[in-house]
Amino acid sequence: MVNAVYDHVMAILVVGAVFVGAVIILPTMSSINIKAVDEQQLRNTALNVFNTMLLDTGYPLYWGSIRDFKKNDPRVQRFGLASAEDSTLYVLDPDKVQRLVVGNPLNYCDYNRVKDMLGLNEYGFRLRIVPPFNVTFLKHERTGNMLYYEAKVHYLDGGPIPNAMVSAIVICAGQKGSGELYFNITRFPSIKTNEMGICSCTVNLAAPSDITINYDVVILRVTVADVATLVISSQQPINNTIARINIVYDEIILTSWKDPPDYNDVKQQENVWILHIATLDSKGSIWNWMDNDEPTGSQDPMFNSGKGPFERWSSKFIGLHDSDPVIVIFDFWADDGTGQGGRRQIIITTPYPQLLGTNIFEFGPIPKSGCTTAKVQRSVMISGMTYTSELTLWKESP
Amino acid sequence: MTRDKGLKGQMRVIEVILASLVIVFALSFANILAIVPTSPKYEATELEKLGYNVLHDLDKQGLLPRFVYKEEWENLTAALRVTLPFDVSFNMTVYNLDGIKINDKPIFYGEITTFTISKNVASVTYGLVGYAERGEKGEYMAKYDPRILILQLSRG
Repeated sequence: MVNAVYDHVMAILVVGAVFVGAVIILPTMSSINIKAVDEQQLRNTALNVFNTMLLDTGYPLYWGSIRDFKKNDPRVQRFGLASAEDSTLYVLDPDKVQRLVVGNPLNYCDYNRVKDMLGLNEYGFRLRIVPPFNVTFLKHERTGNMLYYEAKVHYLDGGPIPNAMVSAIVICAGQKGSGELYFNITRFPSIKTNEMGICSCTVNLAAPSDITINYDVVILRVTVADVATLVISSQQPINNTIARINIVYDEIILTSWKDPPDYNDVKQQENVWILHIATLDSKGSIWNWMDNDEPTGSQDPMFNSGKGPFERWSSKFIGLHDSDPVIVIFDFWADDGTGQGGRRQIIITTPYPQLLGTNIFEFGPIPKSGCTTAKVQRSVMISGMTYTSELTLWKESP
Repeated sequence: MTRDKGLKGQMRVIEVILASLVIVFALSFANILAIVPTSPKYEATELEKLGYNVLHDLDKQGLLPRFVYKEEWENLTAALRVTLPFDVSFNMTVYNLDGIKINDKPIFYGEITTFTISKNVASVTYGLVGYAERGEKGEYMAKYDPRILILQLSRG
């Protein structure tokens, strides 16, 4: 009798233990739950990593502005892209972002180094910085002093943006009959895009009658709803063969296109004088940093495009960084590349490689298809312009 | 004696079957009641954060009060379209304190069916207390006129 009761008590205890164990274990055994928990953890990790990237300045505070930056510089102890000069959240330092541009002539941190600094050994990530909208030049032609341009402003899905404010800045260069050089930057009043997102305008360059204009470029500053601005140039970036233009904080550095430079290329060995340097900020203001009328002698800022070290020329301009440059204009007295002996090349580019303008910045590999990823996005400011930054994170198998 | 043992054995088998049934029922019941952390919930949380981030940015720049109080609904739509990622659809409604809808034009982007079909719709409520108005002597006066902005977001 006692044995039977004892058996039943034992049976109840065992069944109870199995029941409690099953209730606890079963939900975690479910594959859906495991995937969901995994995704949740991934999302939390992605959010933390993204906050570190966008809200932390990293250490040293101005690590992106280190002048003699080495590839994967060991002096960078902590990673973060936030500006050290702005207390507002999600404002990125372009000097730091440009250190992620693979192939930056002034060196960069590669994917593995950034992964190490962020402690993401078991994870893979991809960072993208996407412009808020797009601008395409449709037409750009000049007859004498009259210049006509037509551009289309559209959302990233291709839809037109009506009522976008477009202001044009025209850079023109030429020569007087006496041989005197002419260089002028003119800003024109704003116009609005129509329902199709198209804006067109004819502007008068108003150059003196004895000037022959042989170069003109239109820079458009486009603002949508006063919130997002893009500054783009009608000049194709492929024209530049003289030097790469880089900015590190207040310093402009021109580097050779080839590393190491090709000293045997006789054609490339020629003197280049810098006549004008100007920058534009996101508000459309023009900043003149150098103004030389003629290439007079070796005391002028000049370099040889074939001789010398990788860094061709550099100069500090106090206040350059604070002016938030988004476009750099260089007027070189150099072979124009037409093969007809003409001289003068005007290079208009963004101050940071592959950043700003309508460029999409991407860092890191594409995740393998089928793997679970977490994507987080935030609106960020770089040099006074709004962009969308996006982090995709995934777990890598060991 | 042998018969008693046989009966006891049968009872044990019945007990085992009953116990197994209890366990199976318990497990099925537990599975139904278990709170499953499904990923759509986290997607919605992420969209909410994104929505707050964008509205706060617009407010900080002084643009959100301008769009709302001057009823620049087209500009508000364009501002949201350029600041939100392009794969995110949105639908915003502006109410006053009495719950009356203020925006006479839709502040909307995406497919019409997105917000009815999608399970991952995030909703962000953002309040504006009022705006500054310039008086006759050029001085600024704060005018209390609250607006409640409800921004729905969905991906795809």
